[in-house]
Amino acid sequence: MQLIDKLSILADAAKYDASCASSAAPKRSSEGKSGLGSSTGMGICHSYTPDGRCVSLLKILLTNFCLYDCQYCVNRRSSDVPRARFSPEEVVTLTMDFYRRNCVSGLFLSSGIIRSADYTMEQLIRVAKLLREDHEFRGYIHLKTIPEADPALIEEAGRYADRLSVNIELPTQLGLQTLAPEKEMGSIKQAMQTIYTGQQTVLNEPRAPKFTPAGQSTQMIVGADETDDSTILHTAESLYGDFRLKRVYYSAFSPIPNSPKSVPHAAPPLMREHRLYQADFLLRSYGYSANELLQGPGHLALDIDPKLAWALEHRDIFPLDLNRAEPAMIARIPGIGIRTTKRLVELRRQRRIRYEDLTRLRCVLAKAKPFIITSDYHPRQAESSSIDLREQLRDKPQPQQMALWG
Amino acid sequence: MIILNCADAFDTWRQQARWLLSHQINPDQVSWSVQQDADLFASDTEYPDEPGPFRARIPLELLELLQSAAQFCGDQRWTLLYEVLWRVSHGDRTAMLAGDKLGSELHRRLKQVSREAHHLHAFLRFVALPVIDNAEDVAAKAAMLEMTCLPEYVAWHEPAHDILRTASEHFIGRMGRHRWMIATPKDGVFYDGKQLIHQPVCPEAWQSLARNADDPHGNLWLTYYSHIFNPARLNPKVMQGHLPARFWKNLPEGPLIPALISEARTGGQRDGQAREIAERRGKVIRGKPATSAVSDAE
Repeated sequence: MQLIDKLSILADAAKYDASCASSAAPKRSSEGKSGLGSSTGMGICHSYTPDGRCVSLLKILLTNFCLYDCQYCVNRRSSDVPRARFSPEEVVTLTMDFYRRNCVSGLFLSSGIIRSADYTMEQLIRVAKLLREDHEFRGYIHLKTIPEADPALIEEAGRYADRLSVNIELPTQLGLQTLAPEKEMGSIKQAMQTIYTGQQTVLNEPRAPKFTPAGQSTQMIVGADETDDSTILHTAESLYGDFRLKRVYYSAFSPIPNSPKSVPHAAPPLMREHRLYQADFLLRSYGYSANELLQGPGHLALDIDPKLAWALEHRDIFPLDLNRAEPAMIARIPGIGIRTTKRLVELRRQRRIRYEDLTRLRCVLAKAKPFIITSDYHPRQAESSSIDLREQLRDKPQPQQMALWG
Repeated sequence: MIILNCADAFDTWRQQARWLLSHQINPDQVSWSVQQDADLFASDTEYPDEPGPFRARIPLELLELLQSAAQFCGDQRWTLLYEVLWRVSHGDRTAMLAGDKLGSELHRRLKQVSREAHHLHAFLRFVALPVIDNAEDVAAKAAMLEMTCLPEYVAWHEPAHDILRTASEHFIGRMGRHRWMIATPKDGVFYDGKQLIHQPVCPEAWQSLARNADDPHGNLWLTYYSHIFNPARLNPKVMQGHLPARFWKNLPEGPLIPALISEARTGGQRDGQAREIAERRGKVIRGKPATSAVSDAE
């Protein structure tokens, strides 16, 4: 099979993994050196496909032959898809070619499970090793980790890769039993633990060889089973806490050809995935806890964002005086982000904050208005009920454009 | 009114601004123009060439902000910078903060400039030039390009702001010892493996080399781009927000975009697989898990 045919099959097979980050790698440069590639710590999105997703890395599978039969996966062994397998050298050729063209900032390599978990992991490592050692490649490498692989192999992978990821896919053991019978929550968490331990070992050891310097991540599929947002977010929170994950990705289940009966035939609303990302961001960067966002079981609201939802339930705290409030509280005002918070704090050291400053700082004023006080503004809406406010502020459904052929 | 021309060069503007400030010349009495015949000192008042008595002290941070914002191409490019400089040097630091009216315009420009630098890092595409074996031919071609050696990779890019000189340094770290050249409608850079050479006016020979470079192996990337796209998640609006349409024409994948969008629409967006893959013969893997059956089947 021609390289280009393999590429079409193995890129098509890899598109369901949402991760594409190329950020947070340590600074590396090839200036005046043999070899190729750099990393600046900042991710670069080299292109965007019409689904709105960025293309930052060459994201492919080494092979889509797979022994496992995960029901949600297009590459499961019972799936009737064309199959292909790259040699490690072919992956290296493609990575270097795309990198020189400035089409990607590195490689994100995953694989179906062939022969055994160890064998598969060895193949992935071989690609990373060829790139780093034979080609002195200094771009970004993200390797998928096969949870059942020998911990010694996972450790080896962590020395070549900027990032490792172990996909949890479904947040509950029951979900895995039902839809991914070959997977097991215990081994998934064990693999995360192996990576975490590897990171801890080199922490504060500047001379030690780097170990997954861009951290580890995982992915959860949303809408392949009945799991609610609360379970998903609480799982994410404990993964961030237990294994210091850099990112949890959420991937709305994408219906696959010849879909088995065990999984839905329709995708969940993409808005659900979007709300989970917003909530996740609040966990990681704003200091919210999962309990604050969803106390009991259930889903996040689709028509308002989780920050606004929290504010509407805590009206006693608002309106907040922007000239006095703690920065951490300002960041909890709907429509005002962390960056704007910083700018407001900078500005109020020089003078009092006025309402028109917020326009210039490009706050989402419609959302922020009921929750703020400035030196010249006090909200009338401070008196209106949360129910009325919610009605005013929620996203009204856009008139649906009909697809051309229904 | 004093009208100055700094030829869109920051260092020249800086000299001029320093002189203006030293004579306490108010921003509303001065403007910058790119016109060649700009009457340099068409002022009622006569000013000496020497600096005036006012000694302005400005924070180093401001100088860096001004230098970055100076890459912005647009109305009042240099006048705005002088206004900011004037206010800060007279004790009003809010002029450099995003909350201020003038400061917010300064920060809008800074953001545009850094976005445009990022666009260069992201959307520029290098094409490899064919290797020439004959030393004489190499020398002749290099002479035509007014270079000491030939670039191995070339790119054509159309930035909206004057970011090329500084933003292209990024590729020194990225491309290692490779030699490369970037041509734009305005300026150009050439990295000869050791140093970066900036041409404020891009030579025509560079432009034509970069624009007409043949790319016989470009298909792999186009194939990848088409297949990593998930038609079931079609969302052209988000794509356009990140990848403005003005870049499409210089991206090899640009011409594919309209067809991918319309095919996803007419395909009814049922699943994520590309049609071309769905049309191929599939292969169900038989045999028990955790045996070597699969490797035999490959």
